[in-house]
Amino acid sequence: MPYFRGVCNFCGTGCGHLLRVEGNRVRGVYPLSGHPLSRGRLCVRGWHIHELLQTEDRISQPLIKDGSSFKPVSYEEALDYVVERVKKLPGRQVAVLGSPRASNEENYLLGKFARAILKTNNLSLSSDAGQEESARVLLEGCGWPAMTGTLAELRQADFILVVGGDLTKQNPIIASEIHHAHRAGTFLATISPRKTQMARLSQLHLRPKPGTIFYLLQGLARVLVEEKAIDDDYLSTFTVNSQTFLEELKQVEIEKIVEATGISREQMTGLARKLKESNSACAFYPTGVQSLDRRTMAALFNLFLLAGKIGRRGSGVNPVTGISNLLGSYDMGLSPVFLPGYASVEDELAWERLENFWQTKLDRWSGKNVDTCLSEGEDIKALFVVDHDEEIIRHVNRIRQLDLIVYFGAYENPFASLAHVIFPRTSYVEEEGTYTNSERRVQLVLKRIEPPAGVRPLWKTLTNLAQALGHDWNYHSVENIMSEISQLVPYYRSLTYEKLKARLGLKWPNDDLHPEGTDCLLVEEASRRFRFVQVNGQEKKLAGEPEVQKDFPFKLVVGRSNYFWHQNSVMKRTFIPKREYNALLLLYPRGFVEISKEDASRLGLREKQVVRIVAESAEVRLAARISGDILPGMLYIPYFIDEMIPEFLHRQVADLEKNEEFFLPVRLEKVV
Amino acid sequence: MVKNLVPIVSIPEVATIVDIRDEIEEVKSFYFTLDRPEIEEAFKIRSGQFIMCTVFRAGEFAVSLPFSPENDRKHISVRKVGKVTAALHQLEPGDKIGVRGPFGNGFPFEEIKGSNIIYVAGGIGLIPLRSSIVHVLQHRQDFGRVILVYGAKSSKELMYKESIREWQATENFETHFTIDRPEPGWSGEVGFVNHLTAKLDLPVSNTVAFVCGPPVMFNAVIKELKLKGIKEQNIYSTLERHMKCGIGKCQHCAIGRTLVCVDGPVYTYKQIRTLGEQI
Amino acid sequence: MYWLTKEQLPLLVQKLAEEYKIFGPRHDRVSGEVIFDHLPDLSELDLQAAIPYNPPKFILFPHYEEILKYRYQPETKKVRIEQLNLLEPKALIGLRSCDLTGLLCLDRFFLDQEYVDEFYLAHRKKLFIVSNTCIRPFPQCFCVCTDSGPAAREGFDLDLTFTGRDYLVEAGSKKGQALVEELNLVEADPESLNLRKQIIDDSVSSFDRFALENKAWISRATNRLTTGFIKPEVWEYIGNQCFECGACSFVCPTCSCFNIEDANLASGETSRLRTWDSCSFEGYTKMAGDHNPRKPVEDRRNKRFFCKLSYSQSKKYLRPGCVGCGRCARVCPGDIGLPNVVTYIRREITGESGE
Repeated sequence: MPYFRGVCNFCGTGCGHLLRVEGNRVRGVYPLSGHPLSRGRLCVRGWHIHELLQTEDRISQPLIKDGSSFKPVSYEEALDYVVERVKKLPGRQVAVLGSPRASNEENYLLGKFARAILKTNNLSLSSDAGQEESARVLLEGCGWPAMTGTLAELRQADFILVVGGDLTKQNPIIASEIHHAHRAGTFLATISPRKTQMARLSQLHLRPKPGTIFYLLQGLARVLVEEKAIDDDYLSTFTVNSQTFLEELKQVEIEKIVEATGISREQMTGLARKLKESNSACAFYPTGVQSLDRRTMAALFNLFLLAGKIGRRGSGVNPVTGISNLLGSYDMGLSPVFLPGYASVEDELAWERLENFWQTKLDRWSGKNVDTCLSEGEDIKALFVVDHDEEIIRHVNRIRQLDLIVYFGAYENPFASLAHVIFPRTSYVEEEGTYTNSERRVQLVLKRIEPPAGVRPLWKTLTNLAQALGHDWNYHSVENIMSEISQLVPYYRSLTYEKLKARLGLKWPNDDLHPEGTDCLLVEEASRRFRFVQVNGQEKKLAGEPEVQKDFPFKLVVGRSNYFWHQNSVMKRTFIPKREYNALLLLYPRGFVEISKEDASRLGLREKQVVRIVAESAEVRLAARISGDILPGMLYIPYFIDEMIPEFLHRQVADLEKNEEFFLPVRLEKVV
Repeated sequence: MVKNLVPIVSIPEVATIVDIRDEIEEVKSFYFTLDRPEIEEAFKIRSGQFIMCTVFRAGEFAVSLPFSPENDRKHISVRKVGKVTAALHQLEPGDKIGVRGPFGNGFPFEEIKGSNIIYVAGGIGLIPLRSSIVHVLQHRQDFGRVILVYGAKSSKELMYKESIREWQATENFETHFTIDRPEPGWSGEVGFVNHLTAKLDLPVSNTVAFVCGPPVMFNAVIKELKLKGIKEQNIYSTLERHMKCGIGKCQHCAIGRTLVCVDGPVYTYKQIRTLGEQI
Repeated sequence: MYWLTKEQLPLLVQKLAEEYKIFGPRHDRVSGEVIFDHLPDLSELDLQAAIPYNPPKFILFPHYEEILKYRYQPETKKVRIEQLNLLEPKALIGLRSCDLTGLLCLDRFFLDQEYVDEFYLAHRKKLFIVSNTCIRPFPQCFCVCTDSGPAAREGFDLDLTFTGRDYLVEAGSKKGQALVEELNLVEADPESLNLRKQIIDDSVSSFDRFALENKAWISRATNRLTTGFIKPEVWEYIGNQCFECGACSFVCPTCSCFNIEDANLASGETSRLRTWDSCSFEGYTKMAGDHNPRKPVEDRRNKRFFCKLSYSQSKKYLRPGCVGCGRCARVCPGDIGLPNVVTYIRREITGESGE
């Protein structure tokens, strides 16, 4: 049999596929029509995952930096090297950067390695602010940190609202599911300043000015009240603070919102009525890079709670993750704010449970995101990194100053070249492991090919390291690790490899009550009553228009691309997706900035004319791409690869990554 | 249009670069011989054909053949535009390349015997026409008036200056040159090729035109030629497309119902107009 | 015509396995997926299985294939080009007639044009084909609209028709005839010809009941496409829904576009790779430099449908490029598989309002 069932490892959709294996090579891929979510579809990335798995630039043995190059060493030498240097370091001086592409087992073990052995709480993924905020908002609101609805029943929903992002590019198959639902009769609305493909496919596209989606959502909530579209029974039975919320909502003035967002009252009323009329309604928003900000997520949740759409079958608020195991990485507690299973780091009991379980003393000091550790002059001396893209290289000068960088990776990569010691690791399908998609579906990917000779899986290397540091770690297989996870993470309680091998994934919570997983959050089953999520006064402030500065009249927004997203060093190793990206670069060899037709004609700009984009601290020259997709007053630069993100964006990227509502005030000058 | 002689279809033949000449900025000519004597012997081309050229460790690309089928050194003239052509530009005499082909139909010299010929070229558009010009001058007695109208952005960007001098020494070969902007020392015309074409006194009856250059220039020149009364079926050009195989299989060069690699690359304007795609 | 009993089927397969690598439909146990696959375990062959989600195209025209290998040493200027042996005897058992028709289209395209594709030829040379009549259509089928089913007419070595208990066998080649004789199959009486015809007729008449997913009135769309009288708005409507994944081309039994890349290996050698490609991609026609003759997505979409339904007929396949398997409709994230496109074109002809 050359075709083996598996799960795509690119985005957080987790589509089912068949890998065509010949000898020890993956020679093709085919969608799996029986997969409950992807139902036989793949996107352009998924259709070319085998091209990535062919790549020859693998890291195939441990390496230690030797002057400006690396020398190959044995595992033992590499382990000794790390042990010697790490022993002396206090935990506070160490940071651990995980990969949202690694499996749950790997990430769990990495988190345990960080907390229990390195004694550091500085552990995180890199640009994942949106996912963390999303989990926190949903935990506060309904005690459930991910998609409250389900994709399986999406075709039965009669109202879908997509907020922000560019879903057809980021998670094409989830977008396809939405599109199919729409074609079957579901009302589809998009809120996005940009005319994305999803917006074009929608019945209603609201284009608020950049930075104002929060106000628009508040306005919608207000209109919902005015339209008497509130289910009082639902609110009084299932929520705790609706009175406060409704009271606060009274202060919202629609006229001011109309002015700030550029969306008329009629448009808001139209959308609110559709929401009111719907039986089942779903909202989607992206997390990770280009997510919404906290207040906007909160407002969206609150709007749906007000409409009685949380905890109802077929309804829900659905964050969508951009990377294969982004959700799973959080489930495993790879975060400075969550312990495994989303226990808060402020929960003393949770720490004690963890200490008992891990049989070791843990430090309680509050850790930081690695990004923060590196940018804010913290006293960090050592960094452990798993297979990371070069995006974090914006801290390259800070990273170079570190005493110890330990890199675990499958592929050669500019980040690895900064390391002092490199451990190879297996790539996807060279070792089994579970991955948790946006839908909370935990899927087991089996080992289909042998890794290059001598390459150990990450869990083994971490186990070896722990043992070398004098800890009694005793894992013999990935399955061992999953059984530990199932004891510690309540959502994974009843998950076993045996079960997963016989199924196409199980959606958490998996516990005694839900041995076959859980489709969606049901209000009747929820552990507590729901809350309207607090948005504090500072966040709420309606800023109006003064943010447009006289010298910098344009709002520059940054977005992602279908083929090259997330500055991913992964996609560079493919042929067709890379060609598709290069196709764009060939047209705009210096990168491009999109400008509306209106602004272009006002300024007398021609297509591809070189312009200078000037921000307060930097400037850049790019070719203009005149587009009907963006609003006048906005500029758009696709955030997808190094060559296109010149020095200019590198300096701004930390801000731009925070969320999609962020924009940079700039001015545009013609280059004569 | 006439079909091929036996080409090298699937497996590239190794060739040696024997000489490299700088033509204009970013454009070099690479002179080559095929390593196997029997292949070198058998390698016969028609004017207007192309080959697939492998730059080892970089990839393969389609390139038109600028040399005449007879008594002309085998070479290709290549502008540095992408990854593979950039790798080619790195090569030195003695380095190896791979050759498949020749592919494509070629110019229909039998059909146009006795006609007047007008060549109109813009910039590196002279490359695919060179073979034909050399061939026609080699058989000068078979044709009526032969005229070259050639333009480029500047005098520095005129291709094949040495060949042009040789051609000008041939009897009965008229040449007209133009550059976009005035330059010190330039005695020719100034302006676009289509404007020059419009001004010239060109034969119309029993005349064929060969036109090659960037799309904007191409369309403008066609307009002028038609205004003068030259029929669409008597205007020839060669099309360039992204190609991967050269033998009509990969379909990258498909335009409507035609495949540039086997049905082309030489088309009459009448054909081009009905292909249903941009030039 | 001969009879093959159910019990004899494994013997037939066994016999073929002595000479050929066996491919056929099997089930993935967990997902229930029917996959046309290499079968090291012959017992996995399931001739009653539904139409496989993947066409057998990958066997002759792999998704990702090394067609050539070379080593170039710049220092010594030595080149060694290695031709690869792609020839391997293969038997495809249980091919549905749509997929067989697709394969014959590929044959015509790769072998019967001006040039022969040597790599395809190597895969094709030693091929044994056992087709399998669809005694009942599957939900996505519309082969009756594309003249490619439910039973095979040509191109097979053996053709099987399940009669409820046993198989009626027709030999379509000398190879097939020899095998029939080697297995000592019982010759069927003339009446069984009628039985086969009856079975096929029943299958055709059951399309209205079972094949409900797709309808495609190909011929009218073909006329319209060939004459070119389709409003740009129709293509724009279709183009807006395209996710540019390439899936329609990849799952199509007759789509044959490919890409070629040279990939340098760690060993110092270079692989010349031939991989599936799709005309729906922007980079597909892009030339080095800055020129793309085919730019907007609707342009690229309509190229594919022209290729399937219009131009192809005259030259490439001597029939429509669509074989009615319905896979593109299932695999398309934008819900613009060929049957839907045909519907939109038909709507334009009849003047019904669009969606």
